[in-house]
Amino acid sequence: MCRIAGIVNFELRIEEMEKNVNHMCDLQKHGGPDSSGIYTSEEKNVVLGNRRLSLLDMSDSGQMPMQYCDRYYITYNGEIYNFKSLKNELISLGHQFKNETDTEVILAGYAQWGVLVFSKLKGMYAFALWDSKERELFLVRDVMGIKPLYYGVQNDNLYFASEIRAFEGIEVLSEENKSWPIFMMAYGHLPEPITTYQKIKPLLSGCFLKYSLSNKSISIQSYSHLSFSNQIEVVDSAHYEHKHAIENSVKSHLIADAPIGVFLSGGLDSGVIASVASKYKETELNTLSIYFDEPEFSEKKYQDILIKQLNCKHHQLLLKEEDFHNSFESILQSMDLPSCDGINTWFISRYAKEIGLKAVLSGLGGDELYGGYPSFKRIELALLIQQMPDFLKSIGKASASKKLNRMSYLKLDGIQGIYLFLRGHFTPHDIAHYLGAYEQEIWTILNDEPNVYSLDVVEGKNKASWMEFNLYMKNQLLRDSDVMSMIHGVEIRVPFLDEETVRLAYKTTPQIKFSGSRPKQFLIDMFKNDMPTEIWDRPKMGFSFPFSKWLSNSSFVKDKTNIDNKNLSSYYNKFINGNLHWSQLMSLIILNQRGLN
Amino acid sequence: MKKNTLFLTLKIFSATGGIEKVCRIVGKVLYENTLINSTRVLVCSMYDQQTDANDNKYFPSEIFRGYKKNRLRFIFSSIRKGFNQDVILLSHINLLLVGWMIKKLKPSVKLVMLAHGIEVWGELGWVKKTMLKSCDLVLPVSKFTADKIISGHQFDANNCKVLNNCLDPFMPIGNEFLGNQDVRKKYGYREDDKVIFTLCRLSSKERYKGYDKVIQALANLKSHQNNIKYLLAGSYDKEEKKYLDDLISELHLENEVKITGFIDDSGLVAHFAMADLYIMPSMKEGFGIVFIEAMFYGVPVIAGNKDGSVDALMNGELGLLVNPEDVNEIENAIQKSLLNNQSRFTERSKMINNFGYEQYKQKLETILLN
Repeated sequence: MCRIAGIVNFELRIEEMEKNVNHMCDLQKHGGPDSSGIYTSEEKNVVLGNRRLSLLDMSDSGQMPMQYCDRYYITYNGEIYNFKSLKNELISLGHQFKNETDTEVILAGYAQWGVLVFSKLKGMYAFALWDSKERELFLVRDVMGIKPLYYGVQNDNLYFASEIRAFEGIEVLSEENKSWPIFMMAYGHLPEPITTYQKIKPLLSGCFLKYSLSNKSISIQSYSHLSFSNQIEVVDSAHYEHKHAIENSVKSHLIADAPIGVFLSGGLDSGVIASVASKYKETELNTLSIYFDEPEFSEKKYQDILIKQLNCKHHQLLLKEEDFHNSFESILQSMDLPSCDGINTWFISRYAKEIGLKAVLSGLGGDELYGGYPSFKRIELALLIQQMPDFLKSIGKASASKKLNRMSYLKLDGIQGIYLFLRGHFTPHDIAHYLGAYEQEIWTILNDEPNVYSLDVVEGKNKASWMEFNLYMKNQLLRDSDVMSMIHGVEIRVPFLDEETVRLAYKTTPQIKFSGSRPKQFLIDMFKNDMPTEIWDRPKMGFSFPFSKWLSNSSFVKDKTNIDNKNLSSYYNKFINGNLHWSQLMSLIILNQRGLN
Repeated sequence: MKKNTLFLTLKIFSATGGIEKVCRIVGKVLYENTLINSTRVLVCSMYDQQTDANDNKYFPSEIFRGYKKNRLRFIFSSIRKGFNQDVILLSHINLLLVGWMIKKLKPSVKLVMLAHGIEVWGELGWVKKTMLKSCDLVLPVSKFTADKIISGHQFDANNCKVLNNCLDPFMPIGNEFLGNQDVRKKYGYREDDKVIFTLCRLSSKERYKGYDKVIQALANLKSHQNNIKYLLAGSYDKEEKKYLDDLISELHLENEVKITGFIDDSGLVAHFAMADLYIMPSMKEGFGIVFIEAMFYGVPVIAGNKDGSVDALMNGELGLLVNPEDVNEIENAIQKSLLNNQSRFTERSKMINNFGYEQYKQKLETILLN
């Protein structure tokens, strides 16, 4: 796991390019604290940079950027969980390896199969691969979108990095995207492909960008995608296959040459991961969790029940309000793209680092695949309202009720409208008022992006699954997880997002995977014999912190919001009076932090 | 402002011919365009079922609608959808009626039609001719097909842009088969045998691929070169098999010619990789994707000079073009190709620069969406 950066440039001197790439790497140093490296192509217009966090083959032979056959070069961020089987296959085809890393397997795989190797890689990854003979550079991102990769193009020159902050010194790409505050206020994050810069975009999941230097042409292609298909219709075989896939995934996610643990929230998903991991981990399993003084948020009771059953070495942190206040400014600075969330991940990752872990397994993805969110129940109603005439959807526009208020979002076609109705933060009316823009302008911008295809043929609850997976999880949860863990040099691994598991879920009928009286009943039925009843037979809490209380007591927030901005201070007052959700206030604090009031 | 494209097709996934191959690739291009531009696409197939798109590699099945041979539903649904479109792309002339109706109802729509080969070469009735003229653009797969459309149907040459077919981006490179002797062994070929390969449908109704001429040429070659073997692959009908068996027996070529029947995709690469020459002196190829596939695997090619194959071989720059009706010319070309010391195809980069997926994608995007 690392941070990467690089430049293809036909104008700059090589010293300048190397300086830029080194700077881009330094800005991401937190995500690769163990070592750094740089590669410059012979013809001196490609520079690849890397900051390394070693988890596999921690010797110098795993140093990056890495080369193969003096022809292929890579700077890589990620984990390939099936690298050993691919390596065996490649060895049988005559390839030789110099080290024990998954990185070298990607290079040999590319030498053998060309771009078709990308769909063979199972794991989380983002990398740049340079074929010096064909003079082709590939930027590649995993199918689930777990690892980030951003790029910008200006006059045939290409820049890329794992984080947006790495582009800070690249003047040619410095033009700000004027629309980002609108998305931030609507979504609470920036949905792909929006970034804070006009010319910097994320490489989309399952895609590769190919830059052919000989004719200076750039092509972006999709090498793999996910689609629903309802091919698995029998409950028993569905159970067997899903359970088998999840167990296999957890097992493969435990591979590391460095200390690894499982994060326990006290809920079902992390409980499943921890109980499977404890079965397969050869050495004692490390688990870690956070609890609070505030009893309504603390899941300590459930954590303790689970720990008792697991054969593990448990680490528990009592996170106090004071610690939150002391850390809040640092947390805001840790953010890469603006996001209203991720604070919980920041704390748990810091704790993982403190107890000496380099990687932590998380239950992220279970809710999206197996129906853990309220949206799975609400989507039918939302779809129904979306069919109604627009004037009816605007009825609640002036209402104090957030739900009625957001109903106007259903005027937007497709799944974005549904998403913003169910999960949106501020309405276009409020956004326009806050940013001093015309409401129609806000509607147009929110209608144009993100450009999502129609889900007409997708059944209702699968629509909710698609929405939570693609709009919420990829844009918010995965990005927060990556940024907030890497800021502490810790890797978060997500076994539910293993490709086989996700593809199985996409192939299983909604009637099976979303069946039962409880949310995630299907997942419960798979694992209820492996864990205490209290873990699965309990109300869902999510991984929530007492943010409302803490933010209300924060003098930093009070000072920030108590400025010459009536809008912000009036929203702050609303928050204090309990009429604004803490995440909405967070969006405004972030706008303020970034110079927008 | 989003630009919407409706791509109407006959079959995409339920058949494996050249036209279906092109449709899958076009679908992929249009889907990828939605990932980086403000465009949307819907791919509809009159004959496929919705489930035919399951697990396909080209685009998500969410952007696909299969009408399962329900022609009326396909037509009405396409017309209804047509109102929201900016571009209607037809994969085949048989869909012209639907395209024409949409154009009549929404004149601002850009109506584009792909033209492959024999389906547009023959006489068209005045109705079809009139409807053809409603197309803003016709995209023939070769110059040969373009000429037929322009001269045969009096179509405006300015609205006819040749869009050569391309290599499938999911084609395996086939490195593992380099030097692999398994397939040669399977057919009992010796190391010094020269293997000529043809892959096509062997149909008694069509019979224009020229393999019978190749067999005749082989009979002539046998007298002075007895290490040439001919492997004829592809599904066949009974009548054609009998015709070929009789021909082989009549020319005493039982040891030289083998008819394999259908070979699935996984076996194809190994067959291409072991071949010394690909030959198909066809008379009715719209383009001949199989030629560029053979070249992709390093196999030199021979094609006919009277159809769209001329484009696939870049007017002879990439391989030998022969009169497909002249057995002697075919014989000479085989001899010339096999005698050539450079037994592998050497112009791979040039071929890919012309028929690579990226180049195709760029051309199609420019034509359709700009």
